[in-house]
Amino acid sequence: MTVTEKKSRIESLARSARMVLRMVQGRPQTPRSDIIYYRMLADYYTRILNAPAQGRPVVAHTVFFPTEILYAMDIVPMHTEGTTWFSALFLGNTGDMLAAGAEQGLGPEVCSAHRALAGGFANGTLSRPDAVLWSNLVCDNTAKSGELLEKINRCPGYFLDHPFQRSADEERYLVAELADLIRFLEERTGRKLNMDRLSETVTRIDREIRLLREIADLRKAVPSPFGPMSFLKLVGVDYMFTGQPEAIEYLEAVRDELAQMVGQGRGCLPAERFRLMLLFIPPLYLHGAIEKILAQFGAVMVTEPYFTAWPEVSLDPSYPLESVARKCYANPPMRMYQPLDDSIIRFFTESGREYRIDGAVNFAHVACRHTCATVKLFKDEFNRIDVPLLNLDCDILDPTSTTEDDMRARFEQFFEMLEDR
Amino acid sequence: MVVETRPGTSVLDRFREVNAAFPRTAEIMEWKKAGKKVIGWLCTYVPEEVIHAAGVLPIRITGYSREMELDDGNAYLYINNCSFTRSCFQLGIRGEYDFLDGVVGGSTCDGVRRLFDLWRIYLKPGFWHVLTVPRKTTERAHALYYDQCRRFKEHFGEYLGFEITDEALKHSIEVMNEQRSLMRKLYELRKLDRPPISGAETMEVLNASFRMTKERFNRWLGEYLDELAGSDRVYTPRARLMVVGSVLTNADFLRSIEELGALVVTDELCTSTRYWSDPVVVDSEKSPLEAIARRYLDNFPCARMYPSDGRFNRIIQLARDFRVDGVVSEIIRYCVPYAHDLPLLIDRLKENGFPVLALDVEYNTSGSGQIRTRVQAFLEMLEAKRR
Repeated sequence: MTVTEKKSRIESLARSARMVLRMVQGRPQTPRSDIIYYRMLADYYTRILNAPAQGRPVVAHTVFFPTEILYAMDIVPMHTEGTTWFSALFLGNTGDMLAAGAEQGLGPEVCSAHRALAGGFANGTLSRPDAVLWSNLVCDNTAKSGELLEKINRCPGYFLDHPFQRSADEERYLVAELADLIRFLEERTGRKLNMDRLSETVTRIDREIRLLREIADLRKAVPSPFGPMSFLKLVGVDYMFTGQPEAIEYLEAVRDELAQMVGQGRGCLPAERFRLMLLFIPPLYLHGAIEKILAQFGAVMVTEPYFTAWPEVSLDPSYPLESVARKCYANPPMRMYQPLDDSIIRFFTESGREYRIDGAVNFAHVACRHTCATVKLFKDEFNRIDVPLLNLDCDILDPTSTTEDDMRARFEQFFEMLEDR
Repeated sequence: MVVETRPGTSVLDRFREVNAAFPRTAEIMEWKKAGKKVIGWLCTYVPEEVIHAAGVLPIRITGYSREMELDDGNAYLYINNCSFTRSCFQLGIRGEYDFLDGVVGGSTCDGVRRLFDLWRIYLKPGFWHVLTVPRKTTERAHALYYDQCRRFKEHFGEYLGFEITDEALKHSIEVMNEQRSLMRKLYELRKLDRPPISGAETMEVLNASFRMTKERFNRWLGEYLDELAGSDRVYTPRARLMVVGSVLTNADFLRSIEELGALVVTDELCTSTRYWSDPVVVDSEKSPLEAIARRYLDNFPCARMYPSDGRFNRIIQLARDFRVDGVVSEIIRYCVPYAHDLPLLIDRLKENGFPVLALDVEYNTSGSGQIRTRVQAFLEMLEAKRR
């Protein structure tokens, strides 16, 4: 891997995370979970930076890829979309990466996260990985992004074919795909998978999912103890630190903090007025602004069925690969990937009732065809339980798609309408 | 009533009549009147033989073969799903596909998957089934896809109340292979220096194949091949082109290119070459369903499949076989699999000496002034290159 590229984004991300860490450490009221979170992020990007000097391979992978296998092989993972998201979140600007992606021939049809990735690797602002891994979980963009990244980075890659539906045959197929992935990694990196280590990781994943479910339960409390947009931290930890001890440490801290607040009847906001369900993630470059708008209006996201609502799943460390496959199937985004059957629709409306939501919000990311195609459906379904849905056109990375003022105006109208009801 | 012959007219006119009446073609209405079932399929990874073997008419769900307003499609599928899926849903929600007894889809792309979901939820077909289609063609993927075909056959049989037999599947393989063989003969004519058929006319023939009984289509296509063999009608093109990319059923789009003096001599579209190109290979080692499943997964790959080289190699082979001067890529806006492949495909085509014109279009665009201008410039470039 080369790390000497011009203005390395990885270096900037590590530096930004360290800066925020110092900042939050300096505030007396900072929850412990926030300190753990920013330390984890700083460590994550520092690990990528230090890997070459330590002789450790870095492998780039798309979202929802089973990184527990990489961790169990002592390979340093680099979450591709996560890196573009954090670029927007911490560094604000992804324009250079998007422009470089367009120069690679990727049209506006292609998700901006993937255009930015191709651009970032092509213009040298993202460190070149030793291999690229990608899968069709969760969409055509993830399924199709890998081959161009292989070419740009002149590195090998492996495509994990995740079946669309769930049957015994399909689960076996996924387990075999995972076994091939391991063979690929062993051949390319010279590292052997330690099955005992993977089993330990599976045990921690089991714990992690239980903690995520406990946190989800605590968020049912009125008022909600969790920050208006804090779910993004859960998502970051879940996606980037799967089965890692620090993930457990973070989730336990969050769980304990929320349990204490719920016990005291305290909410995250001085006066909670609107409880919201989120269907798709917000434009990340506006994350801070949206959080402020929500807080100002006493609004809080309480559940995100596509991202944080883990179902009950039982993992068995004595069958580590089968357990990894089972976890892949249980992953909340499977709800947007698999056939949209009645049980999924019911899950959304029942969650709406359980979390006592006043409204639902969908950030209609222009490249997310899965969620956008269900906006009307969910609007119709939520109408049946008298819950309005706010749909906001945007792009999660491209700041030319919408502005803070647009967002504020739309949220204001929505909250006024909720207030009038 | 379906008119089989009409003195003094070309068989092509009969295909055109079928298309003009679509979706309610005389063929389909006649079939329904006889009390028989019609199933709509959504993607070329749905094995038509299974539907045909049950004595049910398989028809392909498409949008209109012309430009149209998509108000309902936009409302239900949102504007960021491709105009093909929105166009199909537009027809569905307006009741144009009311005659369908069911719908079958595959996990091919995000757009089609969501089209299937919304079709099931809002149009409530009597029968519905979706197949997991692996993106690889390994032996493991073949085993999985075969299992999916088996489940589909069993589910469909349960719905109909009888078992779909191997004998019936064998017969359907013969019928479908005959169609593929006749289509190949038609395409062979397009390899000639001066082909007797244009790209637009070929598309009209192909469109009809999705909208009528296979048996009658085969008979008509056989007659059409005879007609072409006995005709002295030829096209002398300014340039020989290949069209690649997203689903396309509007022959007028190709016509607008051909009106500029070019001739589309071959293509790589799921409504044409990728639909008919590979036969089901029957042998004593495999059951008919295994042979069908193998053909569908190994068929000329869609951009969804991995690795993309499988698709690229076949495109280059076609371009060589048909001696094309240049390649026109048409990608429907928001057609993600093809958009991702485009930079890699352009590189491969250029490495092999084939210039490429990349067009962003909407499904069933007829060819706007801007498209014509770009095609005209491309043709001039090809001519300059020849000089």
